[in-house]
Amino acid sequence: MKVVIGLGIILGLLVVLPAAQYVLAAGDEPGEYLDRRVEIWGLFYRLMLVAFVIGTVVSGTIVWLVLRFRESNPKAKPTEYEADGKW
Amino acid sequence: MSKHSTWPEWVYIGVVVALLCYVGAEAWNVERIVEHVPASAEVIKVTGQQWFWTFEHENGTKEIGELHLEKGKAYKFEITSTDVVHSFNIHDYVVLLDAVPGRINTVWFSPNEAGEFPIQCREYCGLIHYNMRGTLYVENGT
Repeated sequence: MKVVIGLGIILGLLVVLPAAQYVLAAGDEPGEYLDRRVEIWGLFYRLMLVAFVIGTVVSGTIVWLVLRFRESNPKAKPTEYEADGKW
Repeated sequence: MSKHSTWPEWVYIGVVVALLCYVGAEAWNVERIVEHVPASAEVIKVTGQQWFWTFEHENGTKEIGELHLEKGKAYKFEITSTDVVHSFNIHDYVVLLDAVPGRINTVWFSPNEAGEFPIQCREYCGLIHYNMRGTLYVENGT
């Protein structure tokens, strides 16, 4: 376990921190002309897409869960507690 | 330990975490790109006060309530306020930044379409906030 933690610290110092610094330093260079409208609305639509995908995954899982584990489902089996009163 | 398979839960967690990582990375990257000011950007000092906007160009020209810019050039706004918090907004160009007393906030844009565009305060700043408007005139370069 100690080896894993030690490796994590070394990797953090040697790889992650310089990489983060390199990426953040890119903000100091002068920028190029761009259309804010395209960038910002493009981001908005992409994130809306992600939001709807997450909504679909979460609500789809809940619907599946409710249908699959309802008592009246032919595949439903009583749990140990329900069958024998065991925890 | 549970006796049932947990892989659907891990898939569920993996998908959601991956999507959230994507959201964070994408938003961070776009913000970084949008905030890079081109070296040739002309600085315009924008001052908000109850209830109008004042613009000062690099050559000292001042405008009140209207702003004349050239199409295709980059402009960097240095935005401040002399009284309360306002918010400088050019809706059509997705420019929106607070004007805070004692602080200079910067945002840049490059108009790529000639025409007239409304400027509006987007932070409630008092009785006549609703009418703290201006007009951006984007003209074709000479």
